[in-house]
Amino acid sequence: MTAAGITEPREAIGRARAGDAEAWGELYREYAPAIFRFCRRALPTREDAEDATMEIFMKLRGKLNQYDPARSFTAWLYKVSANHCWDMLRRRKSRQDKETEEVENVPLEHPDPGQLDRLIEQRTSHEVRKALDKLGPRARMALVMRYYSDMTYDEIADELGVRRAFVGVVLLRARHELRQVLEGNAALAAGGAS
Amino acid sequence: VSETPGNKIQHLDEMTCLLYIERQIDRTRAQEVSLHAQECASCRTLLHALERESRLLTRAMLEEEEPLPARLAEFQERARRSVQWVWGVVFGLAATGAYALYTGYVEPWQQQLEQAGFGGSNLLSLLIFQGAFWKGWQSMITLLEVVALLTLAGFGLTFFRRRIRRSSVLALVLAGFCTVLALPGPASASEFRKGESTTINKEETINGDLFLTCGGRGHVDGTVDGDLFFFGQGLDVNGHVTGDVIVFAASVRINGQVDGNVRSFANNLTISGNVGKNVLAFNEVLNLDSAGKVGGSLTTFVESLGLDGRLGRDLFAFFQHASISGTIGGDVRAKGNTVSVSPTAVIAGPFRFEGNTPPEVSPQAKLASPVEYHKLEHKPRYMEGHYYVWRIIWTAAYILFGLALFLLVPKFAGETISAAERYGAPIGLGVLVFFGVPIAAIVACVTVVGIPLGILAIGFWILMLNCAEIVVGTVVGNWILGHATDTWEMIGRMALGFAIVRILYTPLAQVHVLGSLVGLGIWVWGMGAISLALYRRIEPVISPGASSPPLASPPLPPHTTVGGQPA
Repeated sequence: MTAAGITEPREAIGRARAGDAEAWGELYREYAPAIFRFCRRALPTREDAEDATMEIFMKLRGKLNQYDPARSFTAWLYKVSANHCWDMLRRRKSRQDKETEEVENVPLEHPDPGQLDRLIEQRTSHEVRKALDKLGPRARMALVMRYYSDMTYDEIADELGVRRAFVGVVLLRARHELRQVLEGNAALAAGGAS
Repeated sequence: VSETPGNKIQHLDEMTCLLYIERQIDRTRAQEVSLHAQECASCRTLLHALERESRLLTRAMLEEEEPLPARLAEFQERARRSVQWVWGVVFGLAATGAYALYTGYVEPWQQQLEQAGFGGSNLLSLLIFQGAFWKGWQSMITLLEVVALLTLAGFGLTFFRRRIRRSSVLALVLAGFCTVLALPGPASASEFRKGESTTINKEETINGDLFLTCGGRGHVDGTVDGDLFFFGQGLDVNGHVTGDVIVFAASVRINGQVDGNVRSFANNLTISGNVGKNVLAFNEVLNLDSAGKVGGSLTTFVESLGLDGRLGRDLFAFFQHASISGTIGGDVRAKGNTVSVSPTAVIAGPFRFEGNTPPEVSPQAKLASPVEYHKLEHKPRYMEGHYYVWRIIWTAAYILFGLALFLLVPKFAGETISAAERYGAPIGLGVLVFFGVPIAAIVACVTVVGIPLGILAIGFWILMLNCAEIVVGTVVGNWILGHATDTWEMIGRMALGFAIVRILYTPLAQVHVLGSLVGLGIWVWGMGAISLALYRRIEPVISPGASSPPLASPPLPPHTTVGGQPA
């Protein structure tokens, strides 16, 4: 059972580990949509997400013997997926060094609680997804790992290669970045309406 | 803990609030935060806002707004499919081997047996060729045709397997084949005959259409109560054909009676008999002998035309040289090098000739009116004013055509333009479609039964060819004005871009080779974009309503709530 009380297909996992192609097909059919969605949230384009999903499953097939049945299969799957997506993003060298520097040096401004509450109240899921697309890779990856796949701070630290104590900063900075995008959109919408 | 400027109240900082709601701080510190929040409305609001932000993030990420792409849906089946392809190849080779065995050994023995007086009663012949199989197949099927049929079936499978389940596809295709083959032939079923030299004897009557293919010369001395299709070296029609004659041959002679039309694609066509309706001929030499008679009109593209017989209605002809000494019951509109009208000629309607030299008309010839002659002027097209007028008219017509397309299928038009802007993929696919579709259409036509499919494919290919320039024009429009957000903006860009492409291409088209290459590039690019957009359209998707995997709703963080309820 997972944390959410969902039964994992233990029997299929066992057969897949033994090399049963049908069982592997079952696992793929069950988990591919969720892994694709994970990649879709973490990576910049749909094509990247498609490629990543395929690569992750190819990788998983080879690594299935390394999976410890005592642990959650779902969690393991997300860990491998996060690792793969983060590797992809890192290989592109998109603003990573600069971001790290920014995170460590720029102080975070304390938000106005009422204003923040109103902003959250007014935004829809669709707007948040659009805003996520505009975030930097690290911020986006951190949010996806935490709020899509429910990874722990330790796991996030491990994946991002930062100290555990720094994960909160990364997440908070990501939220600030997201709010800025959402506020920018709101300002644009207000400008357009006037 | 931070201190708000202007007052002395200390507030929780945002990081502490976040770590609190994420349960990442120790119990003692959490109690302090909890106590403070009970007393401080501002911090309570901040905690509340951060928690709502977490829920909003989780909800936004979990919502499924995109179906699983087709290539992912099919991905896990690839390995198995590759094995299935091997089986397919094995099956194909086995079938070909069996067929070769039959034609190489069984059939000759069968023929020998038949010649020895045992024919017509053996089980194989009874069950297959005299039964469910329509007997014409016996003489029609060759190895090439089998391969062509299998190719068609392969295309069918490839197309339909994307739409429905594999087992259903196989069942569908096999059932389709069986149905087609098992259908009993109607009373007027077509007859197929082939051989080195094929003859329909004088006493013989074919009820229905007749397809003749032969390496040598075919003779139709009997009666064909239907249409006659001929492919071969030469054809003599000495008998009676009640339908049309469609012929592809080096030499054709119509000595008998054809009640319908004659469509001829041959080197030489000689008509000494009667043709009830019209004649359409693409030939080197065409002769309507003095005894020959055509009831309708004659439309022809020939090098040499001799018209000594009787033509019931109009003559419309392009030729190098024509000689008219017979009777024409209607108008004459002709374009060519030279034409001579003999004393015996009778022309009932007006005679308009456009040529290099004035027509030689005998004073004894009976013409309804003097020949209206226009000398052909030879100068480059681009030196003529009307060339540009027509270019403008055609440009406007294409823009109108594009406008209609964009309004009829705006979404597909948008997808096509997006596909065109990927450059590499559409050009690659365009090369394949530009050369591949006509080849596939020819392969389809070889099977005879695939002719409708082949014609359909060619028709669609021509449509894509005509849309290609519009696609490229729209991309050019996008380069200049930026991307459009609605249909009318897209139409504006299409019109501007198309006009620019035309303006640039008009002088370029006059440059030898380069003009052709640029034209080819435009076609390939545009056709590839349309094909790519089409491919993406027919690419199946898994519906969002399909059974959801266990992972579709990953566990929420234990401290978050969904829809206002604790998780």
